[in-house]
Amino acid sequence: MSAASAATGGSSLRSWLLLAPLLVFLAAFFIVPLAQVAVMSVTEPEFGFGHYAEIVTDGFHLRVLGETFVTALVVSLCCLVLGFPLAYAMAAAPAGLAAAMMVVVTMSFWTSFLVRTYAWMVLLGNRGPVAQFVEWLGFATPELLFTRFSSTVAMTHILLPYMVLSLYGVLKRIEPSLPRSAASLGARPASVIRHVVLPLAAPGIANGLTLVFVLCLGFYVTPILLGSPREQMVAGVIGQQVEEFLAFGEASAMAMVLLASTLVVLGLYHRRFGLDRLWG
Amino acid sequence: MRLFLILLGAVVLAFVATPLLIVVPMSFSTAVSLEFPPPGWWTGYYTAYFSDTRWTRPTLNSLGIAAAVAVLTVVLVTPAAFALVRHRFAGKSLVNLLLMLPLAVPHIVMAIGYYAFLADMRLLQTFPGIILAHTALSVPMAFLVLSANLKGFDRSLERAAMSLGASPAATFRHVTLPVLWPGFAAAALFAFVQSFDETVVALFISGRDTETLPRRMFDSIRTTADPVIAVVSTLLFLAVAALVILPVLWRALARRRSEARP
Repeated sequence: MSAASAATGGSSLRSWLLLAPLLVFLAAFFIVPLAQVAVMSVTEPEFGFGHYAEIVTDGFHLRVLGETFVTALVVSLCCLVLGFPLAYAMAAAPAGLAAAMMVVVTMSFWTSFLVRTYAWMVLLGNRGPVAQFVEWLGFATPELLFTRFSSTVAMTHILLPYMVLSLYGVLKRIEPSLPRSAASLGARPASVIRHVVLPLAAPGIANGLTLVFVLCLGFYVTPILLGSPREQMVAGVIGQQVEEFLAFGEASAMAMVLLASTLVVLGLYHRRFGLDRLWG
Repeated sequence: MRLFLILLGAVVLAFVATPLLIVVPMSFSTAVSLEFPPPGWWTGYYTAYFSDTRWTRPTLNSLGIAAAVAVLTVVLVTPAAFALVRHRFAGKSLVNLLLMLPLAVPHIVMAIGYYAFLADMRLLQTFPGIILAHTALSVPMAFLVLSANLKGFDRSLERAAMSLGASPAATFRHVTLPVLWPGFAAAALFAFVQSFDETVVALFISGRDTETLPRRMFDSIRTTADPVIAVVSTLLFLAVAALVILPVLWRALARRRSEARP
């Protein structure tokens, strides 16, 4: 007994020694800056919860928050609707073709947000292919850029790989004999997908939706470059308050609200599935 | 239904691929503003990119910062990954959660945090400031990659070396390290790319002399939509293509070679 506890005690000391450099680093260069945001939200320019009261009462901030949540929800659902057929096709394709499709998805995943945002500026610009096609059909040149439409399309495209990779992970593991036996027992193809494939894919769907939703909540670059200046998202408003007005208190309070919303969503996922699976 | 889903999947694949591919013809276009298809072709914007210090300098800055971040991240994460994968101790799941935290906090939140923090430390707009911030943000992915590799490591190899008389240090150097090096390389690569692409924090904490490439690209897209942006995008796209396609080809070739052998 004493030998066993001494062994675990030694191992535990060794673990903490191995962990120490990283933990000290994160405490100094991650936790402290993060805590500073929390502190600034109640001390800049003076002590008090005024900024939080303002967020709740002034209408503007709540509207931005509401719009951000709606956008994140729309983008998550678009990613699911587009991502499911793609992941399904990848899981059904022969190995070589599936690998090629995976290369395309992975390349999109690894390509800088800025590159993909710029590409959508070309595609949706006044003299881009989409506008020209609409003109060719005989309609007036559409104003696609700098609207909620352009930022939603680009964010969906940018976050889609997260959804596809989450879904592919579960779809690939479904035993092929399950859908087949359902079909041989007389289930129509639509009901095979509804009653066999979808329930088995549920953890991947929850995973993809959570990732996309949380990443979209905090999206800064794309809404600013592609979105409508009148319909900002939370991150854009936070950045603007710092850049233009040096209003650190207000910006920090908004940042804390954004952080809290993110952690609530992740917390819900954690209770149901366990957070360690989210990025695995 | 099945066929319909697969066809729809093919359409979505085109939706994924089109924006990635469109930057290539754009980079050879003579158009001064966004226009597709291009009115004419030339390579003038490539010359412009490689000869303009307003582009080359941020590129070199970003490469240097990312290299430093990759090294620092791997140095910090390696012992921690060994502790968490190989040992059991109280508070382990809490530590795990803490290491994942930088992935959960939106970058805009950290951007204001780092702005205030680095200003207090007199590190705002300096290379050390950016490297420290990017390293903290790179920890979770590097840790996930490295610990996944570590979990697959067969410890009997180490035990065999030790039972043959190798010291723990020699065992680590001659057994553990050579077997795990793809894991280290992957973790370093993740950290490198994370830093090289990081935009939001860099927008707030990098300065005129320490400007990073994403910051330069962001400012350029926002203010002028400088056509050089298409060149940078194409080069980044090609780098990613090489990174993703080469390992796939490599594996396919290796498989063919081993199958060809009698």
